[in-house]
Amino acid sequence: MSKNIVWRLLRRNISAGQLAGYALANLAGLAIVLTAIQFYRDITTVWDDEDSFISNDYLIISKKVTGLGSFFPSGDADTSTRFTQAEISDIASQPWARKVGGFTPAAFNVYAKVDFGGNALQSALFLESIPDDYFDVSPEGWDYTPGSTEPVPVIISKDYLTLYNFGFATSRGMPQISEEMIGLIPLRLSLSGNGKQTWVNARIAGFSSRLNTIAVPEEFMQWANREFADKPVESPSRLIIMLNRAGDPSADSYLKAHEYESAGDKTDNGKAAYFLSVVTTVVIAVGAIISLLAFFILILSIYLLLQKNRRKLHDLMQLGYSPAQVSRHYMSIVVAINATVYILAALIVICATNWWSSTLSTLGVQGTSTIPTLLIGLAIILLITAVNLLVIARKTRAAFR
Amino acid sequence: MINNITLRRVLPRVFRGSETETPVRDSEIWMREEVTFSRPGNYIIEAESGTGKSSLCAFIYGSRTDYDGEILFDGTPASSLGINRWCELRCRSLAYLPQEMRLFPELTAMENIRIKNRLTDFRTEAEILDMMRRLELEEKVNSPAGLLSVGQQQRVAIIRALCQPFDFLLIDEPVSHLDARNNRTVAQLIEEAAIAANAAVIATSVGNKITLREYELMRL
Repeated sequence: MSKNIVWRLLRRNISAGQLAGYALANLAGLAIVLTAIQFYRDITTVWDDEDSFISNDYLIISKKVTGLGSFFPSGDADTSTRFTQAEISDIASQPWARKVGGFTPAAFNVYAKVDFGGNALQSALFLESIPDDYFDVSPEGWDYTPGSTEPVPVIISKDYLTLYNFGFATSRGMPQISEEMIGLIPLRLSLSGNGKQTWVNARIAGFSSRLNTIAVPEEFMQWANREFADKPVESPSRLIIMLNRAGDPSADSYLKAHEYESAGDKTDNGKAAYFLSVVTTVVIAVGAIISLLAFFILILSIYLLLQKNRRKLHDLMQLGYSPAQVSRHYMSIVVAINATVYILAALIVICATNWWSSTLSTLGVQGTSTIPTLLIGLAIILLITAVNLLVIARKTRAAFR
Repeated sequence: MINNITLRRVLPRVFRGSETETPVRDSEIWMREEVTFSRPGNYIIEAESGTGKSSLCAFIYGSRTDYDGEILFDGTPASSLGINRWCELRCRSLAYLPQEMRLFPELTAMENIRIKNRLTDFRTEAEILDMMRRLELEEKVNSPAGLLSVGQQQRVAIIRALCQPFDFLLIDEPVSHLDARNNRTVAQLIEEAAIAANAAVIATSVGNKITLREYELMRL
């Protein structure tokens, strides 16, 4: 009972309306900020996941094939679709390009032979290689030493496996194979040209959704081109570009201006990603502004309250109450309100995450943990609370004399 | 624990520049080289209104600092004390009855006393009720302080000031609104408390002096 005397004095002039206004506004702001952060993080995991639909920080470009020239292999008819050294260095010097790598084609004949339990499959093949940095998968043992008997690792496009499993295998009554199984299938490659022929063992080491090709290590390609190519390998006709920022519109306009084509429609995804990051930033900024304004409402409300109760605070301290003893009540109100705001905002984030995670998972996207987002929220609310408490402490001490 | 309060050339800032004029010229406190209040002992500081007696109490109690010179508690300058030290002194060593009493009008007489006593835990509920009875306040125990007469408020404030251990009791015009009979009971209560605490009482007065039996009279 007597413990409440001080509280009965000091609770006068507390405006429930102002505090509720602050709590609602800060809740709205904090919930918007945290939800946007969580959404951005969930979506960007899609991004970091190299294998995903929105992966777009790479661009594969080639020149447009025009006319019928390439139908008549009259010597160097295809030079028009190759990139010159000057063109490559011009692309590399663009601000949006981080790195440029060329596809090295095999300038010799390749036949592949697969043995599945008695059924032998044989086909003419093509091979390409790109520098290792540009792969979205990094399979074990991705290298080759000339003369070694180790099988040559091969990375093929994921689309090929899909084509085989759902197009070929089902219609021919052949077994469907998983990514894990395929590494176990023995593959033999016949390399011929330049008057020589040899067989090498190979294995499928991984699948790429970025590269629409059959890729081998660069060391192998250099060795094989030296051995089997009829004439030296010319400049590449396809380039892979690592972009500085996903979906940069200036990359797009550069490609248009030079009449280059990019593989697939990944630049559209890139644009979506770019737009998404802009929208998310705007949403976070709006939430932050709401939170900031709410924060000022509370600070003003605290100032007003302490100003109105200044005489009581002063008289209590005249009786020997310490500033900590008299301000404790106000501090606990602020802490309680901020804790409630934080808990509600955290609940909103968790509910929102649950709501969109089912939608995202149908797109094959695994959301990330909400814990880092909630920790960011905790840091924000702790910062707000710390400033609130500091203001109360300073204002109370100012009423001491 | 404070044994001596010493004033060295203390002068309220409002009197700056008028050191050679009344009231400062004739004062036994302002601008004196050294004035010491020691416990135990009773001091009555007599002054005309406007000479700064409430200021003197506020300076010693630390609620105002607009003075020149030095106030020393056993040699320690009061100006060097931090807020927490002041709060401690106000609970253990310095008791104060401000002239304007500063009761909380929305609290009852009893609550106004309890709000001090819960801090010091110095008096029992029975002791408080006994003091209220002696000062003829037993019927006002649960009346809001704002509805009490000024004389009643003064007595409530005196009891509140006595709800703590003290070395010095500063009472600023404690009996200005009391009749002679009440003056005597108040004086008795204060003397008892001061003797029990072996403390000093510093009372101010503009004419109606508290009827302490022995005291040193000083002119402000």
